[in-house]
Amino acid sequence: MNALRVVIAVVSVGAVSVAGIYLAAWVDLLVGRAVAGLEVRPLDALSAPLRWGAATALKTRTTTERPDAETWALAPALLAALAAVGLAAVPLAPGLLAADVANGIVLFGAAMALVVVAVFLQGWSPNSPLPMIGGYRFIAEGLSYEIPLAVVLIAAALPARSLAIAPIVTSQEHLWNIVRQPLGLPLYLMAGLGLAFWGPLALPEGQDLAGGSSLETSGVSRILWRTAQLLVLVAVAAMGAAVFLGGWLGPLFPGAAWMIVKTIILLVPLIATRHFVARVPTERYVVVSWAILIPLSLLDVFIAGIQALVAAR
Amino acid sequence: MTLQALIVVAAALFGIGVYGALSQQSFVMIMMGLELMLNGTILAGGSMWALTTGGSPKGQMLVVVLMTVMAVEAAMGFALVIGIYRVRKADITEKIKRLKG
Amino acid sequence: MILNVTFWAFSALAVFSGWRVFRADSMVRAAYWLLLSFAAVGIILVLLKAEFLGLILILMMGGEMTIMAVFMVAFMMNPAGLNPMTMVHRNSVAIVAGVVSFLAIAALGLFARFPVARAPAGVDPTRKLGVELLGNSMLVFQTAGVTLLAAMIAAIAISSARGRYGDADQGSVEPDQMVTAPAGDVAAAAAHDPAPVISPGVHQ
Repeated sequence: MNALRVVIAVVSVGAVSVAGIYLAAWVDLLVGRAVAGLEVRPLDALSAPLRWGAATALKTRTTTERPDAETWALAPALLAALAAVGLAAVPLAPGLLAADVANGIVLFGAAMALVVVAVFLQGWSPNSPLPMIGGYRFIAEGLSYEIPLAVVLIAAALPARSLAIAPIVTSQEHLWNIVRQPLGLPLYLMAGLGLAFWGPLALPEGQDLAGGSSLETSGVSRILWRTAQLLVLVAVAAMGAAVFLGGWLGPLFPGAAWMIVKTIILLVPLIATRHFVARVPTERYVVVSWAILIPLSLLDVFIAGIQALVAAR
Repeated sequence: MTLQALIVVAAALFGIGVYGALSQQSFVMIMMGLELMLNGTILAGGSMWALTTGGSPKGQMLVVVLMTVMAVEAAMGFALVIGIYRVRKADITEKIKRLKG
Repeated sequence: MILNVTFWAFSALAVFSGWRVFRADSMVRAAYWLLLSFAAVGIILVLLKAEFLGLILILMMGGEMTIMAVFMVAFMMNPAGLNPMTMVHRNSVAIVAGVVSFLAIAALGLFARFPVARAPAGVDPTRKLGVELLGNSMLVFQTAGVTLLAAMIAAIAISSARGRYGDADQGSVEPDQMVTAPAGDVAAAAAHDPAPVISPGVHQ
């Protein structure tokens, strides 16, 4: 019975991954066309990710002079695996949890801390200057977003008195964390954008680096890299929905439906930032993160701590 | 997964760390040796907690202290590497014969 | 049975990647072999039910090894591993010391008698650790915190670009060492103690 539940959970994580990646690519295309003033054709756009994938797979693979071939091949797979672990830590419905650990939020944090390794390896391995600059940029970025990310997640775990994610969801039965800790969700989403190096925080892959860390990556590696990046966004949105928007809690519909709706509510704005917000310079992001975001996240955990003390009385 | 097997694995990690810390010339590689020794120590501490203390949290405390040691070692090690490089332009042990100043 | 196989697999991975750290030609690879070794130990800790400690170990080392890789690239010749490289001194002595310490600790593990007392099932070790950290062991916890603060301040002081006797990268020498040079003359002090020229390839 228990094994069956794990199998169902793993299958559903796979299904959510595929659907989430596809949805993210589709929304990205639609928003991009709308912002550019082009005619939005949702049905046409439905097949666009597949066409892009086929074209990328069929192109001649490029390589560089003396790359570190093993780590180059490893980087996209590592990013995809880390994103999948992050997603597996999120309960999709009561009891539907692939990675049923007592410290789910620490598991998510550990997987997301290793994303820096994957992006750095992707930039480092081709033995090419622009990707390497992208890799170094991401280290600066990663060291800046990691602390706010960890601190706001800890603050969200405080009212639940548990590091497992299911109790965090049920602790929001009366009041969601987005209301209880107003600083939490905005800080989390900003850190999440950095984590997925997406939109305004696409520092390692900016246009000023002609594509940055994945500039030299081609063929199947490139497809895997893009899908893994989108999967990181999906994992961020799903975790945000569970931890700040009450997860599966909601009237009338089954829990899984609420979870999917809430994940989409977070995912679409995250995707859309790429077309609405300009990319931030690395130095400015690092300064803002250390001087403003980290103190704000400490304030967030302070507020959560006071609330927990008052509630314990 | 007996205690004996775990201690042997921890000893292997510690031994490789001792070899690295003693044999390497580069400061950063010496730090890697020290970290590997601490890695073995953490494994030994964790397995001692799991198999001999009956779940007393004191054993886990020891591992937390070891992680603190590792963080302090990394912070001071990196600072010293920068400091020595600025003053002496040295990145390997052979280039600093005099410890003063 | 499955637990045993997993345990041996991750033990082998930890020791193998630990060994590869000192056999890799690329500095980035050396740092990430060490990260792999730490990750394997973290997973063994998770198998031992010390879930929180294992995951925290992986989380911590992910950041630290990336900084380590940057340092290696910044401070070492041949960082990318384009040429085979060994930079060792007293290799045989070091091998003997490593083997002796392995044998000594392994003998301790094999022949010493330890009490057998597994953790009782149904107790959340993370909760117990948290209560211990903020209860009986509060002093230890606070001491660790103060130690980390001191390390942070010391690290900034040591690595600061402005040394006590002038700019640190000019070659600073304390006043009583400057016999021939007039006190305070940084350039003369640097000439008194010339910085060695970096010469790659001078290894024993």
